[in-house]
Amino acid sequence: MVASLFALRLGRWGIAGFGGISFLITLLNAAGFYQVAGHTPAERQAFARSIDVLAANFSVIVPPPIRADTVGGYVQFRAYGALAIAFAIWALASASGAARGDEERGIVQAVLAAGTSRLGLIASRAGAFVIGATIAALAGSAGVLVGVASGGESISAAAALEAALALVALAVCCYSLTLVICQLTSARGATPVAGAVLLALFLINSLSRTFDWLIPWRPLTPFHYFEQSSPLVPDGSLDVRATLVLVAMAIAASALAAIAFRYRDVGSPLLSLPTPSRPASYEVARSLAWRIPVVRELYEQRIAILVWTVGLATLGAIFVVLTKAIVDPLLTIPGLARYFSAFIHGDVYPSFLGFIWLGFTQLLMAGFAVTQVARWSAQDSDGRLEQVLSSPVSRAGVVIERVVVLAVEALIIAAVSGFAVWTEAHYQSIDLDRGRLAAAALLLVPFTLVFGVIGALLASRIPRATVGVLGILVFASYLTTQLAPIFRLPTWVQDASAFKLYGQPLTAGVDQTGLVIMIVIVMAGVVASTLVMERRDIGA
Amino acid sequence: MAVAAIHTARLSKDYGLGRGLFELDLQVSQQEVFGFLGPNGAGKSTTIRLLMGLVRPTAGSAHIFGLDCIRDYVEVKKKVGYVPGEMPQFGSLRGSEVVAYLGGMRGGADVRLVRGLAERFNLDLSRRYREYSSGNKQKLGIVLAFMHRPQLLILDEPTSGLDPLIQQEFYALLNETREGGATIFLSSHILSEVERACDRVGIVRAGRLVRIADLDELHRIRFHHVEIEFATGARVPLDAIKAAAGVEDVVAEDHRVACTVKGSFEPLLHAIRDAKVTNLVSHEPSLEEIFLEYYRDAPRALPS
Repeated sequence: MVASLFALRLGRWGIAGFGGISFLITLLNAAGFYQVAGHTPAERQAFARSIDVLAANFSVIVPPPIRADTVGGYVQFRAYGALAIAFAIWALASASGAARGDEERGIVQAVLAAGTSRLGLIASRAGAFVIGATIAALAGSAGVLVGVASGGESISAAAALEAALALVALAVCCYSLTLVICQLTSARGATPVAGAVLLALFLINSLSRTFDWLIPWRPLTPFHYFEQSSPLVPDGSLDVRATLVLVAMAIAASALAAIAFRYRDVGSPLLSLPTPSRPASYEVARSLAWRIPVVRELYEQRIAILVWTVGLATLGAIFVVLTKAIVDPLLTIPGLARYFSAFIHGDVYPSFLGFIWLGFTQLLMAGFAVTQVARWSAQDSDGRLEQVLSSPVSRAGVVIERVVVLAVEALIIAAVSGFAVWTEAHYQSIDLDRGRLAAAALLLVPFTLVFGVIGALLASRIPRATVGVLGILVFASYLTTQLAPIFRLPTWVQDASAFKLYGQPLTAGVDQTGLVIMIVIVMAGVVASTLVMERRDIGA
Repeated sequence: MAVAAIHTARLSKDYGLGRGLFELDLQVSQQEVFGFLGPNGAGKSTTIRLLMGLVRPTAGSAHIFGLDCIRDYVEVKKKVGYVPGEMPQFGSLRGSEVVAYLGGMRGGADVRLVRGLAERFNLDLSRRYREYSSGNKQKLGIVLAFMHRPQLLILDEPTSGLDPLIQQEFYALLNETREGGATIFLSSHILSEVERACDRVGIVRAGRLVRIADLDELHRIRFHHVEIEFATGARVPLDAIKAAAGVEDVVAEDHRVACTVKGSFEPLLHAIRDAKVTNLVSHEPSLEEIFLEYYRDAPRALPS
């Protein structure tokens, strides 16, 4: 009981965050349905046909919608498709943190030393996640009910609860699978390996909608069983059998994890190759990179930069392919124009590409800024900043180096991504303005820096809460631009978003005002962060 | 007259609720080994962070070689080597990379010196930092502090986590460094450690410097709890033990005697020289016990 409460306390921010996200996503999609779907049956039928065509092109990611002419069908498709991915990521992070992260921090040793059995530890962590996921999923159900009520309609509360149940079953299954994988890998490799396995399971299910040869493999993946339920859709229901399969998978995986944990050494994987013995080395690393400011940080993060760069470049190229695949059939459907008129202005290809590629890339670059700020914050709390400042470097130098490193990283990622988009667009015969594409890519640098300097300021003032506050800021900023056209929010609300300041460079060129404001924010942020850093206590 | 290596004047850091450091007046001469002794939470690390310019004083000032620790903190760091109270996290960097990274901030590490220190402490620099034991992390901290031949070493409980053999090696390194002209400021909560390594000792308690003692005074301050076990049926020289100089609080039970010894053990050993002793155990008391004993006769001098 105490171990479960302790586990809940460790995960309280995750529960609060994902509960808030669930509530907002379901609420905004339910309420947004009434803004975009029309009010007459004919309008909603036309809207549903448009969504069906659109979804067919995204079948690699999400399952096709059912009855998108109803709020239940629309929310099941748009909100719960996204929430399934979000909860799987949460399960991954939470389980790898519980299994190996806490081991690195000494928490596992402390709990075991207090008399908790290994089985009890696994059970308490899994139990706490079940409770946390249930709370977060119920927040999503509440969002559905409130959003539907805002449109003057109603939906069965039982259906909303069933939707939460299916989501919890999926999340707990992903959590348990991650727990097992974490017993088999090194602490460092636990999250990447478990993430790769979950991604593979996700892709087996989603790609099987396109490639028949994958269908026999579908029973292996929890995402397949999750998709069997569609309780929010009229005449839909919770697939009890599929949900029980998810629960059984979760129990079996947790049991396996407990057995593996029982037989492995704390701090080591269950299976490991013997390390060949080698003589000790007393030599200093010889790379010149360690001696050059900025370069030393880039060098230390070289793997992460490579992963981000390749990832975003690949994503950019995929979005070009999707743009071609989506826009060509869309141009033949007049009814769809109304749905997109809220988002797209000007030439269709660059507009659509700008909407999906830059929209998504902006979000990822903001996420990249958050990861860098989290790194700064961690350096503060784990004593590395104290050690660095025991060297003859100025505090202003530390702030400036951090911001310059972030700028260079953003530039590398944006430039390569822009080049990948340009190359793929050329291959797909999509005519893009080279100057505007370059501007769009380069504008990602000040955009990223806006969040970076806000994070630097937060890290100087409230290092422990920095990541959470900045994450909320990014999410709110993103939602503002996504939902403002749907909900017809005032212009000043939209202008307050960094995503709005970025503008539509691919179709409308560089928004000079937005660029100037971003540069002013960055400069003011650097000055403010430097002043705060100069005056604050370190390690106190 | 040479400028003081460390000079503080009414240096204070008030964290509220009586926590922090208050009105510290301290002067450490060049080439001196100064111990800063106090129980946990007494204000040792706060003092060190103030000297390192990591926290700003609420009042007063601190200077190192005449340089203001807050205003001239970059210049100060050129002269100082520092071992923090808790070693930071460097994740998956290798020891060799941590040295190169922090050495690079000083214009490059002295490769020969680092190699010598790493060999001396048997620290494998090719291993990843996250794989290091706490003792190895502490060794790396010592290498980082000494790698640029600083004029002043500020060491916050530098031997914590080190095994006794490595501690001996560390004390030898301190002696060599002092003989090389460096000044050393070392914090500890172990009396025997500062007694062994230091010329003078500042004793801090509840955020206030209560005394600066030389080695003679330290010897007077220190005492040991001793338990002596005599052979069954053998004579116990109780009167001689009670009469021995520096021996107090004698308690006898069957063939066992417990007592407190202040100063030298010589009188006690002389008192039991003809008895059949089967076991003799000596415990060093905690610093707090030493303080209570030290102030037992002058309770009003005990700081709040």
